[in-house]
Amino acid sequence: MSLAETLNRARFAGWRPGLPSAQSLLPYAVPAAILLLWELAGATGYLSDTVMPRPSTILATGARMTASGELVNHLGVSAARALAGLVVGGGIGFALGVANGVSRRSELLTDTTLQMVRNIPHLALIPLVILWFGIGEGAKLFLVALGVFFPIYLNTLHGIRNVDPQLIEMGRAYGMNGRTLFRRVVLPGALPSIFVGLRYGLGIMWLTLIVAETLSASSGLGYMAMQAREFMVLDVVVLAILLYAALGKLADTLTRALERRVLKWSPAYANH
Amino acid sequence: MPITEILPRDIAVPVAHPLHSPGARVQLRHAGRSFGGNRVLADLDLEVAPGEFLSIVGKSGCGKSTLLRLIAGLDQPSSGSVLVDGVAANRAGDRLRLMFQEPRLLPWASVADNVAVGLRTGPDPEAVAEALRAVELGDKAGFWPAQLSGGQRQRAALARALVSHPGLLLLDEPLGALDALTRLTMQKLIRNMHERAGFTAVLVTHDVSEAVALSDRIIVLGRGGILSETRIARDRPHTAAELAEIEAGILDAIFAA
Ligand SMILES: Nc1ncnc2c1ncn2[C@@H]1O[C@H](COP(=O)(O)OP(=O)(O)O)[C@@H](O)[C@H]1O
Ligand SMILES: [Mg+2]
Repeated sequence: MSLAETLNRARFAGWRPGLPSAQSLLPYAVPAAILLLWELAGATGYLSDTVMPRPSTILATGARMTASGELVNHLGVSAARALAGLVVGGGIGFALGVANGVSRRSELLTDTTLQMVRNIPHLALIPLVILWFGIGEGAKLFLVALGVFFPIYLNTLHGIRNVDPQLIEMGRAYGMNGRTLFRRVVLPGALPSIFVGLRYGLGIMWLTLIVAETLSASSGLGYMAMQAREFMVLDVVVLAILLYAALGKLADTLTRALERRVLKWSPAYANH
Repeated sequence: MPITEILPRDIAVPVAHPLHSPGARVQLRHAGRSFGGNRVLADLDLEVAPGEFLSIVGKSGCGKSTLLRLIAGLDQPSSGSVLVDGVAANRAGDRLRLMFQEPRLLPWASVADNVAVGLRTGPDPEAVAEALRAVELGDKAGFWPAQLSGGQRQRAALARALVSHPGLLLLDEPLGALDALTRLTMQKLIRNMHERAGFTAVLVTHDVSEAVALSDRIIVLGRGGILSETRIARDRPHTAAELAEIEAGILDAIFAA
């Protein structure tokens, strides 16, 4: 373990912290240019503030709402809903994926049903869910969990099914039994696929939350945006949209970092 | 063939440790194996003495792997019995170890952790380090399998097979996928380990010169069972000409079938 880490570190030997290279800044050049043009178009009057407020206006609004605590409150509520939906939906998806991956009987019992449910777009359930749960937390949790469930279930199942059978035979020949075999061979072998499911799930998680909060909520970023629309406060609407984008990017970045750590044995991640 | 000159076949290997497991005895009595109507092995009698190095050669599809899987306990005979040290092969447990054609290392475990898979009881870093040194991978303990060459991976697999000092080592074409030079180095290593540790070895190979280089006895397997049997005394060196003659005899037996 230590030697491999040393080697990996040696690979980064040329990299000096604190001095980002031109290479690492390149991906941000286009967004920066867009922001600049956008600001200029607003300042020179080409873009009316009633159509699209300027970045500087949005920034000021963000600062004001942060100071008042309003923004942090909405953000916290949305993040908590996202996390709860991810944990519940992802947890059940993972558990069922594992069960159906290792047990033929479990798969026969549940997989066909799940495949049928999968064909219903989960957002189509919104009217029903509102009837069931009202606009309480239950509705949001249910929808997000359902949305996150499928990518994680499907990719866990797929990952387990595709573990190299030769490794499994080796494990058996070396005396590994059910539980040990799962922990040492099957689960690590399925992890790359499970991460693919997690990343898909995160995308669906935000999407579902935006829709659910926009339609029915009394707090959260989506509610903040809808309320601002009623009062025609356009900068808050755009702020909410940008925050969703930032949160999505943040979740993806965190997952990628985790993935690189967990899958560091794979040549596919060795050069990052 | 120069192979016979490269390989010192009568090297006096210093006896390293007293931990030698005495080799296991393998006995097949009237053993047969059929798949549906396809009778692959029938009424096979074979005995491998403790510490003996036996090679099985024969045409592709003649049942070599099937025979090895029976001895490994991974498969049951349709008739007759397969015993390792007097007990049914599938209950011989970790007295025997298997090496496959592919290294089959866990990609997510370090080389040392892969070797530790072969341990019988709890963690034993010293045994792992010693097994790695024995296959000349002492400096690769912390590497990922992906960072090793093909030959190094197969050496790690050998260390995994031998770390628990098994009484019986079963090898199913373990060198088939390696390049010629690496194969020679591995042959030498396996023969060294065998002489040092005293385990019984059964090797399946399609390479007759490999069998001649390694074995005390070579059997040719065919549709009719054991077609021929050749013993090679290891107590004196053989000339290249002698070995070539042995090899030619075995090839004749294979193609006569
Ligand atoms: N699990 C199995 N099911 C059905 N047939 C098998 C099975 N294993 C081996 N065979 C058959 O047994 C014969 C011998 O196979 P094998 O022992 O792998 O040959 P070898 O290793 O000598 O090339 C082949 O004809 C193969 O089709
Ligand atoms: Mg074979």
